[in-house]
Amino acid sequence: MMFAAIEVGKHFYWQVGNLKLHGQVLIVSWVVIGVLAIATALASRNPQRVPGGFQNLMEYALEFVQGIAKEQIGAKEYRNWTPFVGSLFLFIFVSNWLGILVPWKLIELPEGELAAPTNDINTTVALALTVSVTYFWAGLSRKGLRYFERYVQPFPVMLPLLVLEDFTKPLSLSFRLFGNILADELVVAVLVLLVPLIVPLPLMVLGLFASAIQALIFATLAASYIGEAMEDHHEEEHGEAQHA
Amino acid sequence: MTLTGVVGESIGLLSGLILAAEQVAEKAAEESSGGLFDLDATLPVIAIQFLLLVAILNVTFFKPLTQAIDERDNYVRGSLAEAKERLRKSEELARQYGQELAAARRGAQDALLQAQAEANKLRNQQIAAAMAEGQTKVDAAKAEIEQQRQAAAEVLNTEVEVLSQQILRKLLGDLVNA
Repeated sequence: MMFAAIEVGKHFYWQVGNLKLHGQVLIVSWVVIGVLAIATALASRNPQRVPGGFQNLMEYALEFVQGIAKEQIGAKEYRNWTPFVGSLFLFIFVSNWLGILVPWKLIELPEGELAAPTNDINTTVALALTVSVTYFWAGLSRKGLRYFERYVQPFPVMLPLLVLEDFTKPLSLSFRLFGNILADELVVAVLVLLVPLIVPLPLMVLGLFASAIQALIFATLAASYIGEAMEDHHEEEHGEAQHA
Repeated sequence: MTLTGVVGESIGLLSGLILAAEQVAEKAAEESSGGLFDLDATLPVIAIQFLLLVAILNVTFFKPLTQAIDERDNYVRGSLAEAKERLRKSEELARQYGQELAAARRGAQDALLQAQAEANKLRNQQIAAAMAEGQTKVDAAKAEIEQQRQAAAEVLNTEVEVLSQQILRKLLGDLVNA
């Protein structure tokens, strides 16, 4: 029953200097990055005008993430942000799916277990903070210091709420992803513990679906924050006034 | 007095809080070998790795495939424009040929009508000529018949004369001669 043991909160520690690293997270994240790099390099090694099977698939993926960026950021600016938003989606999506589809339990670690990197709070917080930095950077590079006008834009009273939002955004982003992926894995693990065969399969399929949705949500929200940081508030006010 | 009391109390409270926080932090540090919310150096490493991934994918994925898609779009748009131009040209040519065809048809129609008219005229002329010739021939034949009839009548008359003389002579005989 070694396949069915539940290990939560145990990590395969690597000590570098006086820093501690979660080895199991880093190993799988390297696998994910490797898979993505190799797959994309294969698809775009020799781009054809009439795309063949694999190039077609990757172009579909590209157009999908372009669609996310375009919808949230707008047709004018989305091209600069597509790599960031698209990498977020691809990294989270491939992490989640590899976590479910690859039988990591066959590889034994001294402590902890290999799983999707996104089931570790470090990964999700890292991605969420990257998103925060990116949307600040997007707003500042677009509007300069006038970016901070948005904190007092409708009324100066909103300032505390809007500042608070900058903290809740990465918090909700990271905990949503972390919680969903971990919960999926726990549910499957508990079910495997109770009924090892067949029964966990529908839940694993549900997990595939849910983790794809989580990747989409994370990328969409990141793009939406970037778009929000860059949008012109004066225009928006006029638009809202017209709506009212 | 009360003020200093409050200040002193609050300072005491604050220092107590800080102490408590430090104790909690130390405890957490001691127990930090594990746990779900174990934030450590993995976080910045993952962040750097992710930025690296963005850079890699930008080179291997986003740039080349976006370029490929854009080029294809341009190609399709160009081909479409070219095809539209060709369609326009061929429609123009078809229209032109149609006009030429109609003109040729009209010409053929005219030529046919003209030829028919000429043929009719010729036929009428020939019919008229033939009828006139026939008429003259009929007239000539009639005249000849009349002439021959008169000649025959004359001959008959003379023969009647002779025969009547002979009959008279035979009947009356000598009386006549006498």
